Amino acid sequence: MEIKRLLSDLQDFYALSWRGLAGIVRRPFYYKDALIQMDYAGAGSLLIVVIVDLFVGMALSLQLSAELSNLGMKMYIGMIVGISVVRELGPVVTALVFTGRVGAGMASELGTMVLGHQVDTIRVFGFDPVKKLVTPRVVSSLIMLPALTIIGVAVSLLGGYYINVFVSHQSGTFYWSSIRNILTTENVLAGAIKPFVFGYLIAVICCYTGLSTRGGAVGLRQSTTMAVVLSIVMIIISDFLLTRVLLYVLGFSV
Amino acid sequence: MIVLDRVSFSYGARRVLRDVSVSIGFGERVVILGGSGEGKTTILRLILGLLSPDAGRILIEGEDITGKGDGALRDVRMKFSIVFQEGALFDSLDVKENVAYCLREYTSMSDEEIEARVREILASVGVEQAIHLMPEELSGGMHRRVSIARALALSTPKMFLYDEPTTGLDPVNADNICRLIADLSKDGKGFIMVTHKVSDALKVADRYIFLKDGALLFDGTGRELLHSDIPGIRVFVAEVCPPGPDCAEEQGGKHV
Ligand SMILES: Nc1ncnc2c1ncn2[C@@H]1O[C@H](COP(=O)(O)OP(=O)(O)OP(=O)(O)O)[C@@H](O)[C@H]1O
Ligand SMILES: [Mg+2]
Repeated sequence: MEIKRLLSDLQDFYALSWRGLAGIVRRPFYYKDALIQMDYAGAGSLLIVVIVDLFVGMALSLQLSAELSNLGMKMYIGMIVGISVVRELGPVVTALVFTGRVGAGMASELGTMVLGHQVDTIRVFGFDPVKKLVTPRVVSSLIMLPALTIIGVAVSLLGGYYINVFVSHQSGTFYWSSIRNILTTENVLAGAIKPFVFGYLIAVICCYTGLSTRGGAVGLRQSTTMAVVLSIVMIIISDFLLTRVLLYVLGFSV
Repeated sequence: MIVLDRVSFSYGARRVLRDVSVSIGFGERVVILGGSGEGKTTILRLILGLLSPDAGRILIEGEDITGKGDGALRDVRMKFSIVFQEGALFDSLDVKENVAYCLREYTSMSDEEIEARVREILASVGVEQAIHLMPEELSGGMHRRVSIARALALSTPKMFLYDEPTTGLDPVNADNICRLIADLSKDGKGFIMVTHKVSDALKVADRYIFLKDGALLFDGTGRELLHSDIPGIRVFVAEVCPPGPDCAEEQGGKHV
């Protein structure tokens, strides 16, 4: 019985994920809803992304500096910070921040709408709730998470620069030139594909859990928790899988 | 024509409707009566395809809607307009935007036209002063009336579904709502109204359906309802028509 329910939930989830994405190219389009979501997800998350990524960049640079100075290899800080931020930390950290702020918001908003019969009202008005509610959120995550990731990576590198120059007393010019050296097509691609995948995962997971909310305030708590937990786990797992695949495809040897 | 053909429905193990068959024309003025939890709301939700029956079929103008998805049901749903029991206003939009919701999507009216139309509808249910309030700032009765206004905004539906539109309203407003419902049904648009209040029901409808234990206990005119000697129904009717010789004639006579 439990397994049967799990399977049918999974089936619903896949259907929703697919229809939420397909809604981007199928009429009718709800531009305004997408714009509102983009404003909330993008502009609204900018500050927290900047703060978090800045400190991650600084901490990373500091740790590396402490370790590498023992080995007399502090000049490699720029390169290592660059690679880890561009390929790994920037996309993952930004996605986690996005989950906490935007994903949790999506799940609780949709959950409240379900409980208040607002989703039913939308259906009765002749709207397809997937198009009206899910697709705008998928679109906004697909656009905004990559944009935030770019900003986050830049800020992380700045944080690294600050520590590198003012705390570890290394040359700033050398830092930026090593960053420029690692910004090869392969490295950038290895990082740039990720936020699209993460954004899509966050949007569909959080919309699905939000829309399947049942059972009042406790149900809402469960679905919001579920949305965040599932998103985080899926981000981390898919990050590993993506890294594995991308490194292979882009021809890195491991 | 709305046809329920031997429809059964249960929530998990709880059986709500058993083999219900009924057909209702789009121009008819129908009231569904019944005790709390007898499945009145469930019938409305089944008609709109928000729930799917366990057995049996539901036909709307000949189209079988059982088990269809939201996309396919769009045209069917556009024939109806519903006022939910809970009101179900969009709580992130103010009253004006709630009422204007469908106007913005389905008409090409300008902002001024929409505002004028919204004011007009809100005035007809007596809450025009609330136009800029948020749903959480409304009283229960105002909430109910705004959601009625929202359901009336588009003039395209062929049939209105009201789930307890007068419950929780003071007598004056309840009376206004009844009059509004009666007015709206003048140009051949029918409605299905769910209520416990026989007194309100008698003001507006021609046909009465009584639900009990998941089945139709009664289906007939107001006069028949008042004359009915089915015990379950007598209790409901006693409110407007205490046992006695003349009352039924007087009450039922107004409408039959
Ligand atoms: N979401 C649900 N999950 C489980 N059971 C439900 C659900 N909604 C309603 N029920 C049950 O189904 C039965 C019929 O509910 P319904 O809402 O149709 O009653 P109703 O006739 O509209 O009652 P009322 O006059 O109180 O509004 C009730 O006994 C209720 O307990
Ligand atoms: Mg009800």
